[in-house]
Amino acid sequence: MGEIRDFRSGKPGKPPPGEAMPRRLAAIVAGDIAGYSRLMELDEEGTHNRVKRIERDLIEPTISEHHGKLVKTTGDGFIAMFDSPVEAVRCSIVIQQNMIGRNAAIARDHWIEYRIGVNLGDIIIEADDIFGDGVNVASRLEGIAAPGEVFISGGIYEQIKHKMVCGYESLGDKKVKNITDPVRVYRVLPDAAAYQRTRRRRESILLTLLGLAVAVIAGGVLWYMLAQPRSKPIDVAQVPPSPAASPAVQQPAPSPAPAPGQAASPVSGAAPTQQASPQAAPSATPAASVPEPEMVSLQGGSFSMGSNDDPSERPIRKVTVKPFAMGKYPVTVREWNACAAAKACNFTASGKDDVPVTNVSWSDAKQYVAWLAERTGKAYRLPSEAEWEYAARGGTQSKYWWGDQMQSGNAGCKDCGGGAGAAEQPVKVGSLKPNPFGLYDMGGSVDQWVEDCWHRNYQGAPAEGAVWPGGDCASHVIRSGSWKNDARYVRPANRDNYDANVRYPTHGFRVALSP
Amino acid sequence: MKSAGLIMLAAALTLLASPATAQNKPAGKDTKLYFIWPHDGAKVKSPFWCRFGLRNMGVTHAGDEYPNSGHHHLLIDVDEPLNPNEPIPSDKSHQHFGAGQTETQLDLAPGKHTLQLVLGDAKHYPFNPPVVSEKITIRVK
Repeated sequence: MGEIRDFRSGKPGKPPPGEAMPRRLAAIVAGDIAGYSRLMELDEEGTHNRVKRIERDLIEPTISEHHGKLVKTTGDGFIAMFDSPVEAVRCSIVIQQNMIGRNAAIARDHWIEYRIGVNLGDIIIEADDIFGDGVNVASRLEGIAAPGEVFISGGIYEQIKHKMVCGYESLGDKKVKNITDPVRVYRVLPDAAAYQRTRRRRESILLTLLGLAVAVIAGGVLWYMLAQPRSKPIDVAQVPPSPAASPAVQQPAPSPAPAPGQAASPVSGAAPTQQASPQAAPSATPAASVPEPEMVSLQGGSFSMGSNDDPSERPIRKVTVKPFAMGKYPVTVREWNACAAAKACNFTASGKDDVPVTNVSWSDAKQYVAWLAERTGKAYRLPSEAEWEYAARGGTQSKYWWGDQMQSGNAGCKDCGGGAGAAEQPVKVGSLKPNPFGLYDMGGSVDQWVEDCWHRNYQGAPAEGAVWPGGDCASHVIRSGSWKNDARYVRPANRDNYDANVRYPTHGFRVALSP
Repeated sequence: MKSAGLIMLAAALTLLASPATAQNKPAGKDTKLYFIWPHDGAKVKSPFWCRFGLRNMGVTHAGDEYPNSGHHHLLIDVDEPLNPNEPIPSDKSHQHFGAGQTETQLDLAPGKHTLQLVLGDAKHYPFNPPVVSEKITIRVK
């Protein structure tokens, strides 16, 4: 099984002769861009770049977030496989909903819209592709789906109907190209309101048809009654339809075709390029000496990690941390901007030089430590979650490092005293008291990223203080709470998480150094 | 012409009155933010999936400046009113979905809870007018 799942790393022609082709049941998602050639004709390079960006920023991460595997991308589409039909459909919905957002900014003509088909089938797996009816049906479903929609097969529907709360519209059995048996097709209505709309629409269509039928019959009866006295019954069939009936029949015809561009084209034709280029600082001097964060060496040792104040902090356990050094303060604007000036960090921070840098994502923080380590030749890195808590406790086991009651002047938070919460920026580093290890702002000031991926509690956590492998790596752990949070968040045991690639105005970090 | 003048006047007044509101992005027309699941008054067993619905605006990643689109924030048991001049807070009762997520698994303590969605722009500010869902009350078994 391990070999089968790892099909991407397999070399071409890997299955040795004589060995049966690996087969398995999988949910296959096939997607392609509606009107791709038209888009390419409009703007070849632009379309290509946009499609590549969508694949990189949206499709690949969304597939892996839903525990799927991207099998291949073609010029205008992709094929992915999933162990779980529910995840496959969720992934498809997420892609479609994100595309609505991306298209909102651009003219209707330039919209990139995916059609997506999902099928459950037995497939053959090869080194870099998958084959079989199951794949073909998924592609055919995608072919009949309207742009922006997700069509699923009956097999998928049976698996997910009671597990996912969304609407499904049955489209009945459809004959698809080169597949003998007709396939039952359902349209996924990701939002419940759309489901209501289609139901109402269907009801109103039925009502209109009923009305038409009644009108036609009434007209026929009327004509019959009027015509009867003058003509013989035999003529009835040959006489053209009466004027009474015809207007009713014609009614649906003259509706003008709606202009496709009108409804959706938004105000601006602004190309979505602004976000691609973060402003790089005009670097005046290629800094000869890097402003290196001040470090405090810590001996390491054992401590009780966690608390009973929040379910995420349980169970409390003994953790042993090796000797390391921790930044005395969070990384400051000055320190960060040296990295920005060297074009190794993505943006130039504004604000006073001595305040902690903020609006930093986990990925931004990683870029900074990588740059710092490279420039200095020292093993700078982000601290592990255990190291952070060990350093924050400063040898204490109380609720805060100074005791169990809040005391003004020890931490910068909304209700920690000093009225820090209303400010745009946190206070200058070193303004408040240091903890017993001589570290400042270990609690309050700015939220601080650590290396670990998020685990929702400490169930199964290791007893060593290194980074806890695994977990949900779409988000990483943040510690310390910020000047915008209340006193509960400045506790050394407090932990939370945030999307690794998203910036938020209270998020900063500090560096650690291995000896 | 007259209405254009009025709009200009209104814009000028808004700018003068509170410079901070100037950065709130305009909300789309007829937008609706709502819970696909759970419904108001639902009884659920924890953990449960919570799914977000949005009509007439798009979902995008935080940091992406696409007009008429934003990302979800879920407010759990929050009673304080939303401050339109500040980024939507980030803490255990204000969950952020900056990667464009449209659903989440919630693990709440048994009892009554309120849930409300707020759409935030690229910089986590609410839109103008704020795009918020109805505040629903659920009971966790």
